[in-house]
Amino acid sequence: MSRNNKNNMDEPGVASNKNVATTEHGETGVNGAQDGDDLYPLALLMDELKHDDIGNRVEAMKKLDTIALALGPQRTRDELVPFLSEVAQDDEDEVFAVLAEQLGKFVPFIGGSKFATLLLPALEILASTEETLVREKAVESLNNVAQELSEDQLFHDFIPLIEHLATADWFSSKVSSCGLFRAVLVRVKDDKFRKELLALYLQLVQDETPMVRRAAGKNLPVLIDLLTQNPDLSTSDDWDYISNMFQKIMTDGQDSVKFLAVDVLISILKFFSKKQDTTHSKDLLRSAIQLIGDEAWRVRYMAAERFEELAFQFKSTPQYIEELSGPFLALCEDNESDVRKGVAKQLPGFAKLLGDPQVVLKKVLPAVQNLSMDESEMVRASLASEITNLAPLVPKQDAIDSLVPILLNMLKDEYPDVRLNIIAKLKVVNEVVGIDLLSENLLPAITELAKDANWRVRMAIIDYIPLLAEQLGVEFFDKQLGDLCLSWLWDTVYSIRSAAVVNLKNLTEIFGSDWSSEKIISRLLKSDSQLLENFVYRITLLHALTELVQVVSNDVTTQKILPFINHLTEDAVPNIRFNVAKSYVTVVQSLCTNKSKNKDLIKRTVIDSLEKLCQDDDIDVRFYATESLKKCEALLA
Amino acid sequence: MEIDNDVAMQDATEEPLDPTLDEDASTVAPGASKTPEGSNASGIADHRSSKPLQLDSGNIGQLDQWIEHLSQCQVLSEEDVGRLCKMAVDVLQFEENVQPVNVPVTICGDVHGQFHDLMELFKIGGPCPDTNYLFMGDYVDRGYYSVETVSYLVAMKVRYPKRITILRGNHESRQITQVYGFYDECLRKYGSANVWKMFTDLFDYFPITALVDNKVFCLHGGLSPMIETVDQVRELNRIQEVPHEGPMCDLLWSDPDDRGGWGISPRGAGFTFGQDISEQFNHTNDLSLIARAHQLVMEGYAWSHQQSVVTIFSAPNYCYRCGNQAAIMEFDENHNRQFLQYDPSMRPGEPTVSRKTPDYFL
Repeated sequence: MSRNNKNNMDEPGVASNKNVATTEHGETGVNGAQDGDDLYPLALLMDELKHDDIGNRVEAMKKLDTIALALGPQRTRDELVPFLSEVAQDDEDEVFAVLAEQLGKFVPFIGGSKFATLLLPALEILASTEETLVREKAVESLNNVAQELSEDQLFHDFIPLIEHLATADWFSSKVSSCGLFRAVLVRVKDDKFRKELLALYLQLVQDETPMVRRAAGKNLPVLIDLLTQNPDLSTSDDWDYISNMFQKIMTDGQDSVKFLAVDVLISILKFFSKKQDTTHSKDLLRSAIQLIGDEAWRVRYMAAERFEELAFQFKSTPQYIEELSGPFLALCEDNESDVRKGVAKQLPGFAKLLGDPQVVLKKVLPAVQNLSMDESEMVRASLASEITNLAPLVPKQDAIDSLVPILLNMLKDEYPDVRLNIIAKLKVVNEVVGIDLLSENLLPAITELAKDANWRVRMAIIDYIPLLAEQLGVEFFDKQLGDLCLSWLWDTVYSIRSAAVVNLKNLTEIFGSDWSSEKIISRLLKSDSQLLENFVYRITLLHALTELVQVVSNDVTTQKILPFINHLTEDAVPNIRFNVAKSYVTVVQSLCTNKSKNKDLIKRTVIDSLEKLCQDDDIDVRFYATESLKKCEALLA
Repeated sequence: MEIDNDVAMQDATEEPLDPTLDEDASTVAPGASKTPEGSNASGIADHRSSKPLQLDSGNIGQLDQWIEHLSQCQVLSEEDVGRLCKMAVDVLQFEENVQPVNVPVTICGDVHGQFHDLMELFKIGGPCPDTNYLFMGDYVDRGYYSVETVSYLVAMKVRYPKRITILRGNHESRQITQVYGFYDECLRKYGSANVWKMFTDLFDYFPITALVDNKVFCLHGGLSPMIETVDQVRELNRIQEVPHEGPMCDLLWSDPDDRGGWGISPRGAGFTFGQDISEQFNHTNDLSLIARAHQLVMEGYAWSHQQSVVTIFSAPNYCYRCGNQAAIMEFDENHNRQFLQYDPSMRPGEPTVSRKTPDYFL
């Protein structure tokens, strides 16, 4: 990126470089056609592609499709594609990346699939570059192009390309080849050919460079999944190869290869479960247990992260699930916090597979208890994100006796993410133990969290209030939560005040207009005058009342809310005055539900005030008053 | 305060770099104190209007659309940046060196291209125009989204000139932005330096100080030994690149210090000034406070000189690694001050200080 910085800032310099590039290009004469007009787009692109500034070259590459369209299929094949193959050998990675991506969409521009193989040479070069990003784009594009190829083209051109890359000297080509087998594996109906492909892949799995082995291991699950989608295609010979690959990956000397065996194993298990073939289950269970207990923590981490999915494959045999519980609990006590973090999320999922509530109570809950007090906050946060899902898996009384205390403890965790994760998923607990019990235990926790120093925690609590209110009923709410809901309006953080306003609206929708008038609006209008000396709280009050206009009866609006809004039209702070102008639209919208009755009132108060505000000293007040006046007059008309 | 020194030292390297840069840059950017309408100017100020920009339904619609677009952290096209900067020149050229600002207003410090944290700032302080804002400079450099940040603030300034004030910081300069990221970011996002030229030309028009209700003097850096009264600031010619020395440079570069009197700044530009200087300045000009930014402070704000001076810094976890809180100061119509502190926003796809899951696919 830093190349030619100084030049670029010096306009004349750039201009002259550009001229040089043009002349150079004129001499190379790639597009030797005579007709000057037609030449123009290609010549322009080529100039841009030779521009001194990499940014121009990248931009030019992005417009490749336009150029191809202008040239038509014939000339794109004859002139542009060969030129691009040249470019693919001599430019910067940024340009290569765009080129690699563009070529994947190029089949329509060169005249359809029968010419698609013309794109392969350039993409092969790009798939061999050092830069990972370029290779990845090239591989993706090769896979796209392969979709368009006939079986014949696959055999003649694409498979040789894979073989060529897979047997190249340099690792980068081999890495790319690993990503290409997916394009052909299940399209090869000939058993012998498929076996040869798998034999080639086995070589990659055993390659001397770990980068290649890693790429092979990473791509293997995709290949196996393809065989699962075509269950009748593969032969036992094929599976000998795959089993061999799995063994090699599982015993690889590099942790960063070995841990890929977990996903390979899951894919293998999925294949056999689709075939309803259980002959290998026992062996595969041994492999699973071996991976779960591997000495390398990365492997254990991967097993922990995937535990539920892994265990799920054994669900048809409860005995195997039970055999997995020992290794599972060992992961919960692993030395590495990352492993515990991974497995903490899997607890409810695995508990569900275990099925027996007594086993969950005796084995899983003690592990939950320990993890809830883990020294690492990441582990506790991870546990908190899923733990509430345990509630439906144990009898109600046990949930109350054993699980709820853990949850309440976690609500007091010093790390906010832990508290937030629990609150976000409390609903499922609520469904099991009932709102009464939960609220009884929760109230102290909620009042505590309502004052949390982290505003996002306070926000999460506010979001939870309507759910509580609905189920607790109005009496309980007024007694226990009413004050709290009003207090959030005076929070120092705007987002909390704003959420508090919306919350009041939601509560009014639940408890009704009369309740709102009596318990909310009356109290709001009696707000402490000292508090209202600060414009922040006046504007909040205005917002709150405006929001409530939409859900209370017209009587409440005209008798209580409108007089307050009117009185703010003469506020000293312009921000209040233009928000009054905005509020009037909401008021008129609401009052227009009974237009005949309210028309006079609207004209007398709202329109009159807005006309005054249109003459205000402040430009923004004038702007919003004019806008609102237009809207209100339209509503009245 | 250890980290504070760290930044002062980092900034100190800005100056030793400058002389070399200057040699290179002399053909590139119009040097200090030259007019911006050199052969290399972006042209945004070629057709300045003789009266302030009039907002009508046409340009309001355009601005609202840009603001909506920018608020998604998406850059404007080069042509639109050109249009925006031209409009901004016609707003900013009519502001004063000491721009008067009314209460209530929320005063903010450095943002440094941390766009998502700027959005967090509005979540804490309330959206503009409902809340009035005063930013004390350093919108660009260091963070990953300088273009989006400065485009957004300038668009807001043009749309709501009475509701937001944007002062110039020492990073709003051609020279500094070439070293600390804004130049490279423009090149990366637009493929050319045009947008950088337009914005740096526009920076020359930013006001350099503000006076809130005649009581709080706001500026990016600090005081200058050549400035005793606010009126002397009003007499400066500010429409130029930030000079290497002199009063305008000092206002954007100086720092308060525990030692009395004037001192040599470790940054290599501006001065350090002691409590005696601040108190004298406040007394002479009948001020209650000097509010400034420019220095990283771990709590987001810090008092000095027995509450004569306050430092406000609004880039949380500065440079994505300092671990500091950010703050803004609400100054209400009764001159009550309230500081609001905040932490970094949730930022997908950006480095954070906290430990993340290691990348196993290395």
